Amino acid sequence: MNNPMSSENRLHALDAVRGFALLLGVAFHASLSFMPGWPPGIWSMVDNSPSQFLSDAGFVSHIFRMSLFFFIAGFFGRLLYHKLGARGFWSNRAKRIVVPMIVGWVILLPTIFFVWNLGMTKMFGGTPPAPPTPPPGWFPLTHLWFLYELLLLYVAVIALRALVVSFDGAQKLRSLVDTLVANSIRMRIAVFTLGIPVAGALMTLPFWFYWQGIPTPDSSLIPQVPATVGFGTAFIFGWLVNRSGTALDAITRGWFVHLVLGIVATGWLLHTMHATPMAQPGLTKTLFALVFGVAVWGWVLGLTGAALRFLSNYSAVRRYIADASYWIYLAHLPVVAALAVWVGHWQLHWSVKYPFILVVSFAVLFLSYHFLVRPTFIGKLLNGRKYPLRKPAQPSVGQEPAAPPTVPSSDSGAPVASLRGIVKRYGKTTALAGIDIEVRRGELLAVLGPNGAGKSTAIALWLGLIEADAGQVTLLGGAPQDLARRRGLGVMMQDVELPKELKVRELVTLATSYYDDPMSVEETLRRAGIEQLANRSYGKLSGGQKRQAQFAVAICGRPRVLFLDEPTVGLDVQAREALWASVRRLLADGCSVVLTTHYLEEAEALANRITVITKGRVIATGTVDDMRALVSRRQISCETRLSPEEIRGWPGVVDAQRVQDRLQITATDAEGVVRQLLAADSALLKLDVRQAGLNEAFNELTKEAA
Amino acid sequence: MNALALKSVVAEASRGNALGAYFTETRFELMRMVRNPGVAIPVLAMPFALYALFALVIAGEAIDKDANLGVFLFFAFSLMAVTMPALFATGVTLALEREMGLLRLKRAQPAPPASWVVAKIVSGLVLAVLAYAPVLILALAAGKLALGAGQVAALSGALLVGTIPFCALGLMIGSLVKGTAASSYALLLYLPGCYLSGMFFPMPRSMDWQASIWPQFHVKEFAMHLAGITPHKEPLAIAIAIMLGYTVLFAGVTIWRLSRKG
Repeated sequence: MNNPMSSENRLHALDAVRGFALLLGVAFHASLSFMPGWPPGIWSMVDNSPSQFLSDAGFVSHIFRMSLFFFIAGFFGRLLYHKLGARGFWSNRAKRIVVPMIVGWVILLPTIFFVWNLGMTKMFGGTPPAPPTPPPGWFPLTHLWFLYELLLLYVAVIALRALVVSFDGAQKLRSLVDTLVANSIRMRIAVFTLGIPVAGALMTLPFWFYWQGIPTPDSSLIPQVPATVGFGTAFIFGWLVNRSGTALDAITRGWFVHLVLGIVATGWLLHTMHATPMAQPGLTKTLFALVFGVAVWGWVLGLTGAALRFLSNYSAVRRYIADASYWIYLAHLPVVAALAVWVGHWQLHWSVKYPFILVVSFAVLFLSYHFLVRPTFIGKLLNGRKYPLRKPAQPSVGQEPAAPPTVPSSDSGAPVASLRGIVKRYGKTTALAGIDIEVRRGELLAVLGPNGAGKSTAIALWLGLIEADAGQVTLLGGAPQDLARRRGLGVMMQDVELPKELKVRELVTLATSYYDDPMSVEETLRRAGIEQLANRSYGKLSGGQKRQAQFAVAICGRPRVLFLDEPTVGLDVQAREALWASVRRLLADGCSVVLTTHYLEEAEALANRITVITKGRVIATGTVDDMRALVSRRQISCETRLSPEEIRGWPGVVDAQRVQDRLQITATDAEGVVRQLLAADSALLKLDVRQAGLNEAFNELTKEAA
Repeated sequence: MNALALKSVVAEASRGNALGAYFTETRFELMRMVRNPGVAIPVLAMPFALYALFALVIAGEAIDKDANLGVFLFFAFSLMAVTMPALFATGVTLALEREMGLLRLKRAQPAPPASWVVAKIVSGLVLAVLAYAPVLILALAAGKLALGAGQVAALSGALLVGTIPFCALGLMIGSLVKGTAASSYALLLYLPGCYLSGMFFPMPRSMDWQASIWPQFHVKEFAMHLAGITPHKEPLAIAIAIMLGYTVLFAGVTIWRLSRKG
């Protein structure tokens, strides 16, 4: 399942990737007039300064940019479908995709013809030859083919989805596919297999000019096989990655390997293509097609992973560019083509003219976006909202942003850490049998339970030390195995000895090096109340001092969540009070704390909420008062000659025991029992009745569950 | 936690300071080694003492007659000097730390996953250099090593590279066994190899079949190739391949084991 918080962070990264793919398209088209050896007519102009470099760069960007776009489009497609439902989805797509496609085509097509005509006239010195008769079925989709292809894929994939839903009622197939998708990325198989379908389609092409990669389906309404297979694979895989909760994590982790694979494969393609630009039937063609597939997916997964890794935060500039990219891509073609015509005969090197085209086009396109699109109904149509021109645009976090698909609203107030439906077994022993626990921001949750109840297992899951057999563990909005996320936690474990040779100050220094924005070592020592121990070796500390040093290590990174496993064992009263004060200060700073303890007074003193676990199940959760009220029993204590056995049989008595010379009675009806006591033993002494403390409440609860 | 705060957490976290963590971890690992000479001293002193005993006292005159014997003895004890620390500084300390629960804590803390491994390997290498240098100095000072400067340099480099499979072996032992038992197991795996690989004294031909089981054998062959000392018992490529193979095998078991057990 997708976690809404973590997805939301990632959506910024994916939006950035899509914006990048679209803007790369502008740079690609701007380079086409410089292609060496292209005859007039393919592009609006043949420049007098051809460039092999731009040819290679264009090839490289063309390998992946559309697949990348369709991959992200598939991801967002499913997100949108599940957010808006079928009807909402189609109405949204009609506005964002169908209308821009039709209106854009009506306006762009004559403009493009006009620019082409200008170019041809210029190239042929006034009298261009008559254009060749188009083949039957020819339809100039122009660069808007990608919207047409996208619509076809929406229809196909949603139909396919309906089919799967109809027979896969138990979700067996779908969960299998989820596992397959995540594991194939994790094991780096996806990068090699996803390209196989498109390679198959490319191999069968009778005329394949290597440079073009997947031939652009821009001149017919009939879907073309290689493009449909190639972009369809990307779209469906994006859709499935959105389905599978863990695939994005795997992509994030694999960014470097994938990128390297993409680059290496691309290097080989360039090398091979330089030898023979046109595919000849044979081994090289097959190999080229297969390596091409690896290159496509190396780049797609690598770039997506790198963006997830490095761009997962909100940036106003990136947001603006991502919003602008859709308009820019729609409008750019006549602009760059006209500029190419304009500069085509200038006696300047391409290294001057190409940047010139880029700078002027982006300037024109961004200005047009800023003044004509962003504040107007066009912006609303394309990106779902318009921004007033006067006020500097500051989209608030989680607002519906731009470009074809949309981002769902944020899910605030979610827990900082949670266990949902967790089952964990060790061999035949079930440590946790389906527990749900939530830790909210700024609260202290005390986890109580007898030894072996499953407390430490729960903590180990949150720390990412073990994996659950079933259920979902989240820490700060995602999987706890993620290192970046773990930088938000601090931990003090049971049964851990720190290196005895190091001094306390050094231990804190070492722990500090793991965090990005830690407290200073002095501040940490002061907060933990152990400045005087700073220069003592850990091995020479007493048991209680060692716990204090471990506490300092736990808090040095300014954690958002702090896990304290039995923190005050062995501390004297003074040290314990100091530690409590320090915990309270962290809570006040907004840190959340998970505390396991045997000292119930500790829970009473610190906890906002208490969860009681026994035998791997949560048997009660609530505030300290809730817990006491849950067990509304009272303790009666007195000196009497009556025997416990006798009293246990009375109505309203839960338990009776002799403790030294006193009789301890736990009763639900204290008044009735006292009356009966006084009646039965007139010599009764030192009667004492009180509300059960947490200790008794806890004992009762665990006893009942046992 | 609201989405905004969460974003800032993730944004901050993604910056990371992994390099600093590696450096600090290594620095403190070395510091621990210096402050706890219990492990270091025997490992440092033994090869030197043994070399001094054999090369100067027992076989001193024989070496003066046959330079090859001097090279052979130097090989035996320098190999011991570099491989023992590699094995013990990594394996035994890892086993002790696992018993202390320290590794579990490191895995829970946001320590970069490989920082402690790097720290141990670097410490192992430093200790190897510290153990090797006195043996080398003694050999050169006493004139018991008839090799050119280039050969000595190549040999020294090769020996240090040869510590890598032993670091991996140490990590493997440390990941399989807990606590003080690790040093016994390490000795059990290490010492027979020193004899049976023909490192300490030439083995009879009938025992050749088993010599190549031991990593020591391949490190020695590797170093002899690089220093241009003949005769070789296997080609350089094979020696490199087997050292690499052992490293991958040991490291693989370590990773498999630690990812399951911690």
